[in-house]
Amino acid sequence: MLKKTILLVEDNPDDETLTIRALKKNNILNEVVVAHDGAEALDYLFGLGRYAGRNVAEPPEVILLDLKLPKVSGLEVLERIRRDERTRLIPVVILTTSDEERDKIESYRLGANSFIRKPVNFEQFSEAIRQLGMYWLVLNQGPNGRKG
Amino acid sequence: MAFWKLLAIALSVSLLMGGLLYQLVSYYVLYQAEKNVQNLLLSHRGLHQYIQRTMHPAFYAYRDAGEIPLTFYAPEILSSSFMVRVQHTYYNEARKEAGLPEVYYKMAATNPRNPVNIADEREARLIRQFNQEKGRKEYREVIEEGGRKYLFYAVPFLANAPRCMKCHGRREDAPIGLQRRYPGEGGFNEKLGYIRAVESVKVPLDREFFTVHIIWGSLFAGTVAILLLTLFNRSLRDTVLRRTRDLEIEVAERQRAEEEVRSLNADLERRVAERTRQLAATNQELDSFAYSVSHDLRAPLRGIDGFSLALLEDYSDKLDDTGRDYLQRVRAGCVRMGGLIDDLLQMSRLTRGELHRETIDLSEMASAVAEELRRQAPERRVETRITPGLGAFADRTLMRAVLDNLIGNAWKFTGKTAHPVIEFGSRREGGQDLFFVRDNGAGFNMEYQGQLFKAFQRLHATREFEGTGIGLATVQRIIHRHGGRIWAEAAEGQGATFFFTLPHEESYA
Repeated sequence: MLKKTILLVEDNPDDETLTIRALKKNNILNEVVVAHDGAEALDYLFGLGRYAGRNVAEPPEVILLDLKLPKVSGLEVLERIRRDERTRLIPVVILTTSDEERDKIESYRLGANSFIRKPVNFEQFSEAIRQLGMYWLVLNQGPNGRKG
Repeated sequence: MAFWKLLAIALSVSLLMGGLLYQLVSYYVLYQAEKNVQNLLLSHRGLHQYIQRTMHPAFYAYRDAGEIPLTFYAPEILSSSFMVRVQHTYYNEARKEAGLPEVYYKMAATNPRNPVNIADEREARLIRQFNQEKGRKEYREVIEEGGRKYLFYAVPFLANAPRCMKCHGRREDAPIGLQRRYPGEGGFNEKLGYIRAVESVKVPLDREFFTVHIIWGSLFAGTVAILLLTLFNRSLRDTVLRRTRDLEIEVAERQRAEEEVRSLNADLERRVAERTRQLAATNQELDSFAYSVSHDLRAPLRGIDGFSLALLEDYSDKLDDTGRDYLQRVRAGCVRMGGLIDDLLQMSRLTRGELHRETIDLSEMASAVAEELRRQAPERRVETRITPGLGAFADRTLMRAVLDNLIGNAWKFTGKTAHPVIEFGSRREGGQDLFFVRDNGAGFNMEYQGQLFKAFQRLHATREFEGTGIGLATVQRIIHRHGGRIWAEAAEGQGATFFFTLPHEESYA
């Protein structure tokens, strides 16, 4: 089986737990790397700081990115991902509480692949996560073309 | 200076000038008249000289030669005063024929041989005067006699010389012919050196004064005219200067007023800009507040719901029915609060930002809303009566929110009605389009209509009809932002009608 890593960028531990639980509930058993702020996400992606020495050539299959993050904001993380040759092709799904129009527009402008608002109702949230995993990890053909 | 004062001065100056001119002109005319008189006197004197120097010597020569008898005396030949008088008489005749006034001439003496030559009072006085002032050569005066003006001119006759005394000395010494011719004492007993006569001339001055008046009149009129013109010119200039000054003052005042208006405008603009900045800042704050609410209030809610569900799923064997029910209630609360937050956000979002007015078809929009409601609740049978073609000039997104809410409410509150009917229409009232959404649903007590448009105020219990109580507050804010009004008419159990107005497109022009 392909080693498809999911990078979850989430600062809220509740949301982190619930997201991981939702993934598990839906039998998405891929490795989930959690970055708790924008800076940590960038460190992971570019092999810096705590992740120094990580093989940058193995990018995550999909990034679930919250917008409201400490240190470096989600939109800035997205911008940096899209600016760098090594990461610009990674699918990025914005997973946020906000449904502000300008956030949506700005996210898509910066090259987000999807924009999903986290519903309050957990069943709906769980369903969203399920569809997300199905689509990006199973149905979608990523750009990496790595063999398993 | 006052016009009348100036006029008085001008008239005074004119009169003064007139007097001076009159004197000047009179003097000139009299001078000319006097010249004529002098000519007359000189010609008379010439005649005297002719008789004295030519006739007398010839006569005496003929007498001495015995050609003329010793007793012969002819005043016609030998008296110069006679001859001059006669000659002057002819002169006046000639003047008369020429249409000229007669000239008075007299060789006047106080002791004349011929009484014709007797001096009148004035002439007698002059003779005395000339004798007293021997150097005086003439006398002149303008006199008035019988209403006419005359130039009176007099010169002294010769002072008695020794040779004169032969005829004017003692009577017995005079030639015999003379004695015989003049039996009286007149002309005799004269004193040597005494001026015994004056030649007096009176010339009427009618013509001259006529000339004086003509010339003076012209000059005076001219002077007055010039003065008046000067005065008028001055007055005109004064008027022009005054008007110019007035205009300058007015212009200055206007400029000041304009300056004031400009500065007021600038101040106003500055204040408007300041307020706009403040408002923008406030909006900015509201924006970030709403953003925070959207993000931060929802996140814990999701946690509560998520972990409640996790409890239900993972630990349901450790919970009894009551525990599970409680958790379900927790979850229901979460969902309701989520909806509340969403509604609040929608209200805040819909009521800030700019209005983008355009011509929209409200009827079409109402149909779309109804269609959407039918799609969401296909089990319901609701009759909708939508008057087609109702247009408005308003913000499309906001009006969609208005109809969503009003028709949505109608839909909701007819949920327990047997034959639900929802109507959307309009009527014209007082130059405004009045739109209404009517239903035959639950309605409400008009007593509580004051609560109707307040946020979070509900007239129905949640278990009766769901809702957050934000919809109508949002609708009212949208209508107010468009400059319209909104109100409702209802009765409990008999449905409700919501009316709203929107200003016409022209009112924005």
